[in-house]
Amino acid sequence: MERSPARATARFVTLCILGLLISLPFVWMVSASFKPRREVEEARIVPREPTTRNYPIVLNQIPDPVTHKRLDMAFGRWYFNSLFVAVAVTFLQVLTSAMAAYAFARMIWNGRDTVFLLYIATMMVPGAVLMIPNFQMMVWLRFLNTYHGLLLPAAFSAFGTFLLRQFMLSISPALDEAATLDGASHWQIFWEIVLPLARPGLIALTIITFLGSYQSFFWPLVMLNDTQLYPMSVGMLALDSSYGRQTELIMAATVMNIVPLIAIFIVFQKFLVKGLQVGGVKG
Amino acid sequence: MSSMKRGLMLCFVVVAALYAIAEGTLQRRRADGITRLRWATDDNPARKVQTSLFATMTSGVQATVDPGLGGDQTKLIVQCATGTGPDVIDMDQQTMVSLVQTGVLLDLTPYARSMGFDANRTYPALGPALGMSGKQYRFPCNVWANCVIYNKRIFDDHGVPYPKPGWTYDDFIAISKRLRDTPSKSGDKQMPVANWLNLWFYEDMLIGHGGRLFSPDGLVSRLDSPEATAAMQLYYDMMYVHKIIPTAAESAALSSQGGWGSAGLNWFSTGKAAMILIGRWYIVQVPNYPNLQGSLGAELLPRVGDRASCGVIDSRASGVNVKSTHRREALEFLRYLASPEYSRVIVADGDSLPPNPGLARTGADLVNESVPDPAFHQPFVDAVKNARPLDISPFIDPAVVTRWLTEQIEKVENRIQTPRESTRYLASEINQTIRLNLERRPDLQQRFEAVTGQRYSPDWWRNR
Repeated sequence: MERSPARATARFVTLCILGLLISLPFVWMVSASFKPRREVEEARIVPREPTTRNYPIVLNQIPDPVTHKRLDMAFGRWYFNSLFVAVAVTFLQVLTSAMAAYAFARMIWNGRDTVFLLYIATMMVPGAVLMIPNFQMMVWLRFLNTYHGLLLPAAFSAFGTFLLRQFMLSISPALDEAATLDGASHWQIFWEIVLPLARPGLIALTIITFLGSYQSFFWPLVMLNDTQLYPMSVGMLALDSSYGRQTELIMAATVMNIVPLIAIFIVFQKFLVKGLQVGGVKG
Repeated sequence: MSSMKRGLMLCFVVVAALYAIAEGTLQRRRADGITRLRWATDDNPARKVQTSLFATMTSGVQATVDPGLGGDQTKLIVQCATGTGPDVIDMDQQTMVSLVQTGVLLDLTPYARSMGFDANRTYPALGPALGMSGKQYRFPCNVWANCVIYNKRIFDDHGVPYPKPGWTYDDFIAISKRLRDTPSKSGDKQMPVANWLNLWFYEDMLIGHGGRLFSPDGLVSRLDSPEATAAMQLYYDMMYVHKIIPTAAESAALSSQGGWGSAGLNWFSTGKAAMILIGRWYIVQVPNYPNLQGSLGAELLPRVGDRASCGVIDSRASGVNVKSTHRREALEFLRYLASPEYSRVIVADGDSLPPNPGLARTGADLVNESVPDPAFHQPFVDAVKNARPLDISPFIDPAVVTRWLTEQIEKVENRIQTPRESTRYLASEINQTIRLNLERRPDLQQRFEAVTGQRYSPDWWRNR
């Protein structure tokens, strides 16, 4: 069907308007991060007296020009914690999900599909319901207030297993059979054949897991009491109290917080979309 | 080695290196014999001074702040349910009821008198709100009753006289209209009143009108009383008839932040609103806004008709986790809260009124660096004398009542329901829930019998 130029233009304009609407909160966030305190509540996007001071204030490089006090925040440490936890969780989750997915997709064993269904069924249980049992297990393991307590529960994922299983099912079984005839073990087939071919799925899962883990809030909030261990999402609460908020500082911190997310999304968005599409239709 | 393997090996090395850095750079506490209490409270900068003083006053014990998420109790609930909760817990009156019912809080009654933090050590009006069923469960960290804080500079700019003692809501509306309608000398435009937290605004007006949330026995909601409806009607009229507080849509359009009313706080702090109904704790943030210094005034809440000025009294008060492994030290912390030294810190940082009324007898007692004018502080001293705590019913979760009340206020704000419809609906919902709770819970039936002196029957409410 041939598209009329008028329809294409209308569609383009509509998408532009939608794009603008979606980006408006981000534009406002960046704009507010460059405003002095007295301008933050003003309904204007472009600051009258733009300032970059909010960033070094949040980073504890300079004192607040109004109170002449430095913020009591370990922003650098929290930034590092967020990145470390996100990277570690992503690595562990992708690795364990890939192994589990291989077992469910390429190995034949009694009760495989039933176990898979049971595993997938855990996705139906709301996170809030699992909060106390998971927390109790962390207490028994003495992982409360440690990095382990953040990493271990997030190292396994039913969703990740499901996603990668769908990818692995799309890889021809003839490859396994040929490798088996050549004397390859399951471990070799997994490493040398299946994993390289599932690369789009691995990248998609990597991005999804990283984004989710980097933004994780409630679990770290509940697990951690020591401010040294806080990720950014929890640490930024220090800028928000019932006694008032310093919006311009929150926005500066938020801009710095989301930079890694945006960078990762921009670099890998092609894989993310492709990965989800492939994972969604095969199986 | 394939590129996939190399990539995974590299990832492993990166994760291992990050882990080594993360663990290696943690500052671990050495065994120094110091007991560290965990104090679940908000992460206010003022807490640093408060915990430092505690450390100097008690040898071998320190308090560390364990911040939660504003009013969200998830962290507290999860940790307390698994026996790893904080030692000392800050709470308002409603949270106290929930924590008592779930067995989280220690009954302080046996310790309070001997250790010097019983209810007699603080404001008489607050006493009933410190416990329930005749037992004390908390002691105040600070105490507040709202007043009207105003920006003198804005009043002067508009040529409007400051509020006078004994003013009524009619005066409040008239002054607000003058502020709205009289052009300022500077050309600046401000809103008359920053309506920063609708629930508190309404609750203060409810008490001011002589209204109540519940009957004295807690069995019947009084939110459909003429007083409660009049308060809701006044709130609606201020918004849509007198147009002196922003409507819900205007608030949403003006707010750059949302959440817990902080937009209203910022409007007032940045000189965009002339008045705000709030506690003395507001002045904690005055150092962040130099333009406010020297220009703040305060007056008691407006009166309703011939009634005395009256609002809600409440407190951020601390209780002790019944499973705390540092019970003795936690009780010491409450003793510290009752000390004159702690109260002096509250006076100095402006975090509402100190728990010890002996240090807040007059406005002059409360003078601090942020607001050195005794006249500013005097209304807050007077306000706690007439204020009263909100009613709590043991037959319904107070958090549910608060949520429903907020929903109905929002419906009035958005003109989805009239004030009369809202208060009727609210009272009806609460009463139905109380009946249902009584039907389902034998413990509440026993309480019913204790309160009424009558035997419980499922149709008890027909005779009331």
